[in-house]
Amino acid sequence: MAIAKSERLMNLALCLLGTRRPLSKRELRGSIEAYLEASGDDAFNRMFERDKDDLRELGLVIETVENLEGETGYLARRDSNRLPPITLDAEEAAALGLAAKVWQQARLAGAASGALQKLRAAGMPEAGDSYDIQPSALEPRIPVHEAAFEPLMLACRDRRPVVFDYRKGNAARPETRQVEPWTLECWRGHWYLAGWDRDRGAERVFRLSRITGKVRSRAGAFTAPVPDVVTVRETVESWAGETATRSARIRLRAGCGYPLRARAQAVTEGGDGWDELEIPYGHGLDAWLVEFGPDVVVLEPADLRADVVERLRAVAKG
Amino acid sequence: MAANAIDQTRRMLSLVTYLRERPGAHVADVARAFGITEDELISDLDVLPMCGTSFRGGDLLDIDTDGDRIWWHNPDDVAEPLRLAADEATALLVAARAVATLPGLRESDRDALLRATAKLEAAAGEAAGASARLSVTFESEGGVFAEVDRAISERRRLWVRYYSPARDELTEREVDPIRLFAVGHTYMEAWCRLSEARRTFRLDRVAEIRILDEHAAPPELELRDLSAGLVQPSADDPEVVVEVGPGGRWVAEYYPHDRAEELPDGGLRITLRTPDPASLRRLALRLGSDGRIVAPPELADSARTAAAAALAAYEGV
Repeated sequence: MAIAKSERLMNLALCLLGTRRPLSKRELRGSIEAYLEASGDDAFNRMFERDKDDLRELGLVIETVENLEGETGYLARRDSNRLPPITLDAEEAAALGLAAKVWQQARLAGAASGALQKLRAAGMPEAGDSYDIQPSALEPRIPVHEAAFEPLMLACRDRRPVVFDYRKGNAARPETRQVEPWTLECWRGHWYLAGWDRDRGAERVFRLSRITGKVRSRAGAFTAPVPDVVTVRETVESWAGETATRSARIRLRAGCGYPLRARAQAVTEGGDGWDELEIPYGHGLDAWLVEFGPDVVVLEPADLRADVVERLRAVAKG
Repeated sequence: MAANAIDQTRRMLSLVTYLRERPGAHVADVARAFGITEDELISDLDVLPMCGTSFRGGDLLDIDTDGDRIWWHNPDDVAEPLRLAADEATALLVAARAVATLPGLRESDRDALLRATAKLEAAAGEAAGASARLSVTFESEGGVFAEVDRAISERRRLWVRYYSPARDELTEREVDPIRLFAVGHTYMEAWCRLSEARRTFRLDRVAEIRILDEHAAPPELELRDLSAGLVQPSADDPEVVVEVGPGGRWVAEYYPHDRAEELPDGGLRITLRTPDPASLRRLALRLGSDGRIVAPPELADSARTAAAAALAAYEGV
């Protein structure tokens, strides 16, 4: 039976961590059973390179050193791989335990529990060590449904430029975009990417659910600086019409339209079964008001009134 | 299976350090501390004795178990605590920062989280840098949240005035809260005594809330698995078909659906199921010239009628 990959990785990790001098590929091949069983040099080389990458993903710092004979050697120095001292009390441990559960994405969920395991190994108290802590009843979850998330997360981390097809909100066809990815932000349950659009020569925000097809990363890293503050939220708020600068006056049937009342700047009861409201007027208000059908009448401004009437006509025509 | 091998290796590296500090540890305790099943732990313990501790070979890890307790007999320098990987630091730091922003979080929990985050940033060193590439904000309504949280921990019943967008109305009901969760917005799962059923309430739609003196007595329920999404229509729910132009493609992003077929004009034909098709009248009105309801016909009619009634108010003025 083939030797399990985890056993092979574990052997390589322990060898590299245990040695005080760099070990050559030849020495490693000779001492790890799975490598001895590899069929041929090519198979071994591919396996070895992949294993090194995997261990680096797991956080191992593996140094490459050339020895006197010009042969490449590898080692994972204790000093550069040791977790610095960290002392967490039971409350802090419980808080991190809650935080580690929020990811609903396999890679990050695995990484978060891996981090907790390392901290436990380093002496972090366990939940059972203290019985008087009652955690909050809250269960926060971070949803990640977008296939583009993982490749973009890695590209942001490694500063690799990416190419993807993107369909803007109301566009019929997707367009290919070339982007230097800066950050990913989750807001109101949706993920957004902020970055530099190479073709447009400008900062852009992309909604991950509108990326169609695969995210391909380009060779090499980009070197242009990533700004300290990226304004994903402001951009998305302006899409959502939340950066209103004007206000509108509407009539609203009594008892209806609670969300409109909740954000109204002023409400006057009309006494005739209708109230008059002053509400913020930003992008998208016309579509929202139409949802309330015959329970809303726009008084002013005239352009909003005209937009609402036009939308209603379109629906009435069917 | 590759992802499992990675996770298992990650876990085994921590396990050797952990076991070194706790000779004779119980299998059940170790599994709980690592958040894994006892079977998973046993399979790790099967692999570890096959692992050498030096390149010379021969020095295999000496760990054995009788299925109940675990013994470790190795030189002390074999297993030191390992630094955090970039992804590990990112996953934990981003999550901790996000949870710490929840307005309704208890102050003691928030303080603990902030202290832990600072310590973690220091211990992670350079690996913490990548965590700046991700951020998450939860939406939550502080006041309402705190009341629900208190009601759950004190097992008390709640009175709420709740807004239903489907009917555009506020209803008053008594509920027995079960849990709070945040997926984008913050929600309360509760047993609704009005409808005698489990209901999910979005906290920003709670217009008013009061904690009652009565004890909450929700029936024993199996918690729903939220990973499949909040809205899980049943196969018996009636079908609604919506055709949208390019400007209405957002419907497919916001409404869970069975099918979305491309149309030649760049639009979509979306088929979804809902227990209450009338609740989609709002959608039909909102779409305007960007889309129309194909089925059921009553829904399309009710949108047309509502639009005509709304237009009448503009004619006289």
